[in-house]
Amino acid sequence: MDHEALELEMRGLREQVTGITDTAVAAADGLLIAADTADTIDPEGLAALAAAGLGLARRTAQATARGTLRQTVTYGSHGCAAFYAVGDTALMVVLGDEGMDVDGLHRATGPALDRIGSILMHKNKTAEGV
Amino acid sequence: MSGYDLLARALAACWRERWTGVLRVSGSPGGILHLQDGLVVAAESPGAPGPETLLLRSGRVDGEQWAALVREAGGARWPAAGLIAHGYAGAAQLRVVCLLALEDAVFAIVAGRVDGCERAGAGAGPTAPVAVGEPPARLLQDAARKLAALAALPRPVHPDRERPVPAPQHDGPLTPLQRALLDHADGRRTARDLAFRAGRGVYTVTVEVARMLGEGLLECPAAPAPIPVHAPPEGIRHRTPPPPAPPPPQPPAPVDLPRRRPSGFFRLRNGTPK
Repeated sequence: MDHEALELEMRGLREQVTGITDTAVAAADGLLIAADTADTIDPEGLAALAAAGLGLARRTAQATARGTLRQTVTYGSHGCAAFYAVGDTALMVVLGDEGMDVDGLHRATGPALDRIGSILMHKNKTAEGV
Repeated sequence: MSGYDLLARALAACWRERWTGVLRVSGSPGGILHLQDGLVVAAESPGAPGPETLLLRSGRVDGEQWAALVREAGGARWPAAGLIAHGYAGAAQLRVVCLLALEDAVFAIVAGRVDGCERAGAGAGPTAPVAVGEPPARLLQDAARKLAALAALPRPVHPDRERPVPAPQHDGPLTPLQRALLDHADGRRTARDLAFRAGRGVYTVTVEVARMLGEGLLECPAAPAPIPVHAPPEGIRHRTPPPPAPPPPQPPAPVDLPRRRPSGFFRLRNGTPK
């Protein structure tokens, strides 16, 4: 896995979409891979919550015949938390404040998720060295 | 043509035609302007906190109270009458908050990158319009004056660029805004992010950040902190598909739903239910 490419994607997304405050990438089972989060957030706990949240949403979509799950978004009075599946191997969390345009976020994350998926699955020298 | 000129030209045309509708400004942060007979009655941008954020983040109203007000107002996104009736804010205060938020959004749009302007018909009405609209030329002049004032400071900053941290040591009295900015500046937040966090206007916060950088209360780290990456030791595994759905259950006999038990804290505050 190319650590630098993953870091660039995460930082790039935060700079591209106004209002993103934190991002994290984890394996589908909730094991944290990378966190660009403030000190006030426990990234391991967040990754576990996202894995559980996506699992629940996927089951809900299945049980209610809503088709393929796209994402889950939790809205609060101080912003929102979006969980996305990255293929069937990983997930991404994006936290944003009240100003974040959630539709704009979904548009921006589409291509970023594809690229992050290929970075995670790509085995190269960097991955062997770690 | 610069982004400012694009916006100025689009707004001037709206004013000439006394146009009513929504003008979408694409760019970063971009935003939308609501016009009524050529006058701007509201502006929203991801780059500036709206009236709701200003009230909630400043602690004047909390999230639960806000949700109750919205329910009371039949789902209205700006429950002005309820805010006044419950004494959270006065009518004049709300008018000022809405006008400041409007001017601040125009400042944020103009301070950023404007790629284009597109008229989008009437669409959804504005969340919190001002009673008397503002002439577009006055709003643009106000934004331009603010940008010039920022640029003239000894250590100018951009609302969406610098991500400052508190300087190692500082002494002397601090204003409440300075204290809030020192608390929230963590090297990850721009002036715009700090404005949302503190519930203050983005222009006010950008100016204060610039001053605090000039006075040595804040500083800009040379490079952002690296993002730690942990590769799972055995590689990334594919998710195991969920088990097949269980067979449909027999229609259950109607039963009373279980009641939620109040927690200890609730009992303490409200007494034990008999």
